[in-house]
Amino acid sequence: MKTLVIMNQAPYGDWSGREALDMAFSLAAFDQPVALLFTGDGVNWLRREQEAAAISQKAVDRNLAAATIFGVTALYADQQSCHRFGLDQHTMIAGITLADTNAGLLGEYDHVISLS
Amino acid sequence: MTAMPERNNEGFLEDAWAWSPEAAMAIADEDGITLTDNHWEIINFLRYFYKQHEMSPPSNRLFVKAVKEAFGETKGNSIYLMQLFPGTPAKTACRIAGLPRPTNCL
Amino acid sequence: MASIRTLHILNKRPGHPAFKSCLSSLENQDALLLTENGVLALVDKGLTLEGCVYALSPDLKARAIPGDASVAQAIDYDEMVALTARAQRVISW
Repeated sequence: MKTLVIMNQAPYGDWSGREALDMAFSLAAFDQPVALLFTGDGVNWLRREQEAAAISQKAVDRNLAAATIFGVTALYADQQSCHRFGLDQHTMIAGITLADTNAGLLGEYDHVISLS
Repeated sequence: MTAMPERNNEGFLEDAWAWSPEAAMAIADEDGITLTDNHWEIINFLRYFYKQHEMSPPSNRLFVKAVKEAFGETKGNSIYLMQLFPGTPAKTACRIAGLPRPTNCL
Repeated sequence: MASIRTLHILNKRPGHPAFKSCLSSLENQDALLLTENGVLALVDKGLTLEGCVYALSPDLKARAIPGDASVAQAIDYDEMVALTARAQRVISW
């Protein structure tokens, strides 16, 4: 069963994003196919070189870079949301696949989860 | 002997950057572990992992996965890591490497 | 230094209902200070910010948001305190 976890909240505002990421990592830990889709405000997770120490937190872009090590199959970002927040391949972390969420992506997964 | 950095009630360092190899040896000693090259390979890997990702591998399974990703099957398996770091390997290894407690280890 | 009539401190993401309310209540001698997820407004192409706008630098750094000085002045915590002191009143949205 393939799971897609939707990340649609900006980082650092609340814990829902961390919890969603934790869930994705846990699925990966048990070798369950899981991918992440960043959309809406959620694409701000992907901005490169966040210095979260300034607000006494851990940088989510660095946390995310561990996703493929843990076995998360893909990191998708909604193209329109990226455009809206001025994100392109130069300002985003590596390994992101741009997706058009209105197209078939959601249909490829048996289980789509959004925690917020 | 250098002073032991501040630790929490489970023996994990409060500040990962206060870690030193001497602190690692002292913490390992509490667990009855004498650190060998094989231990240091994993400890250095965890230090590097933390620097890159600002997190400890969140669970034992993900610790094993991360080691497997870095060193292959012969080291990335739970028996090997259990022999080096008895108990819950992720917890024991992170404690010795000065990393925060893995969030999903009981 | 010119005094500020109302300092609006906005910590909500641009899509939040309070964000709109805040922007529509801004008046001539007011200033807007973006903090926490409010700083995302600076990279949101769906928005135009006008007037006297500040953004809290640690929150910009944390989110790797490039401060655009022509839109908002980046300030640190001490400057935030000074700004608050200059304002006749403060609204925290």
